[in-house]
Amino acid sequence: MDIRAILLVGGVAGEPAGANERISGVPIAYLDSLGVSVVERVLRRLRRFGICTTTLISDAGEDTALPNPAEFHPRVHPVPATGDDFWDAAEDTFQRYAAEGADLVVALRVGPYAEVDYDEMIQHHLDKRCIISMAVDSENSSLELFVLDPAGRFDARELFHNHLLRIRRQCEPFAVKGYVNRLRNVADLRHLAVDGLMARNDVRPDAMETKPGVFVGRGARIHRLARVVAPAFIGARARVHASALITRGSVLEHHAEVDCGTVVENSTLLPFTRLGAGLDVVHSVVGFRRLAHLTRNTEVEITDAKLVDMLPLSPVSRLAGSTAALFAFLPRQIYRCFRALSHRENAADNPECAEPANALLDAPALESPASGMESSEFPANLAVMRRYGDH
Amino acid sequence: METISRPVVVKRMPERMNLKQARKFLKEVQPFLNSDRPQVVFDMSQVRHLDAAGIDVLLQCMREAVKRDGDLKLAALSPQSAVVLELTRTGRLFEIYESSTAAVKSFSSFLPNALRQLEPQLSQGVVPMFAPQAVDANANDDGSGASLAA
Repeated sequence: MDIRAILLVGGVAGEPAGANERISGVPIAYLDSLGVSVVERVLRRLRRFGICTTTLISDAGEDTALPNPAEFHPRVHPVPATGDDFWDAAEDTFQRYAAEGADLVVALRVGPYAEVDYDEMIQHHLDKRCIISMAVDSENSSLELFVLDPAGRFDARELFHNHLLRIRRQCEPFAVKGYVNRLRNVADLRHLAVDGLMARNDVRPDAMETKPGVFVGRGARIHRLARVVAPAFIGARARVHASALITRGSVLEHHAEVDCGTVVENSTLLPFTRLGAGLDVVHSVVGFRRLAHLTRNTEVEITDAKLVDMLPLSPVSRLAGSTAALFAFLPRQIYRCFRALSHRENAADNPECAEPANALLDAPALESPASGMESSEFPANLAVMRRYGDH
Repeated sequence: METISRPVVVKRMPERMNLKQARKFLKEVQPFLNSDRPQVVFDMSQVRHLDAAGIDVLLQCMREAVKRDGDLKLAALSPQSAVVLELTRTGRLFEIYESSTAAVKSFSSFLPNALRQLEPQLSQGVVPMFAPQAVDANANDDGSGASLAA
């Protein structure tokens, strides 16, 4: 059976662009959750159920920190479309699939993340002989996921023109029994990651479990004096400096960096985010130079790079930045070294400091013959466990 | 002996507290901090952007006030300033109040003043309940930034 998919990212109904399902203009669907973007997870799920040919229609634009379309599976065809073109592109794709002889088309918007059993849903669609089947959650509200019959072109047109909010012919909806997350805001993204760490959904961390509940991605560097308390996720090439503490289900996505002494508690650091030294990040999602505090329900823009910064996205820029930092660091250290030496010399010049130590200090600490005998009797590498007693 | 209540200075902080603004703000509050036992309240209701320089100025003001046996309190924190104070772990160093009025009152309800209030009753052998001294502090109503409450 030839089943194809139309995956829509953006096109939030009834909201101006950028007001919802986005962080600093980037769709939440494109952000990583435990090492893999939500879109990639949806695509993988579709593939697992044999739906490989997918058109990904996105209104995200090109100037944002998005994953490269080339990184997707070869059978995923990305189509950028903004404004009114977004829904037209969806309709055109449906018409193309119908013309190419697809048996069924799955149309879904991310938007909501739902762990759907596509086999069950398609079986439901076939059993009920529907033209369009809609997936709903436990509260009977739409998950913006539909199975369409290619014969129902007018139904499809109606559906896309109404931004997936209305269907022409009602059919018995398919109730999704699996995990559902609406992914409306950063708090939902945080919940998705925490549920993944707690194994409440299929969002498995894309990393190795180094300790029970502690997942560390490839190339991540954790200082030996840093502390990571389970459950926690440290993404690929993330860095945790000395004395930092990562605790209570905190998530550091790839290339995130936590400087010395900073505490990250019940928080998520989005990719390429750098936290300064000695900070306390609690119940927050930090990224794109913004901090969203989940309990205070406040989003703050932080322009001070000492507090929150964003690392360059390109590896070349990152390399140049770290090289410049090294060159700035070395002269400073050399200067400090010379300064410390000069201070020591000054101390030696001081007659009070240079005065010979007390005569008692020159005398051997243990002058008794017994101690001398002991020291000669026992080799230096032997520890005396018990010296006194009856036995 | 008559004890006179010292004035409490309420100063509204600007919307942006970056390096430039922070320096300007410090210059403005320096005379108040240089007085004997300064009692200062910073109203942070207008603060939208607070960075490391702003935090540094807050700490500097706190140091100056404490050095002269006074105190600095924060009031009416905006959500943004509250988040940054928590982020930088500096929130715990200050007494923080819901409003400037509450912050001003907190100065007068402190023990020495409270005891002064109770002195006549204590001399009569009556031990009354402690209650904060009411202070008429109409902070920042004129919008000028600083106001005094005695």
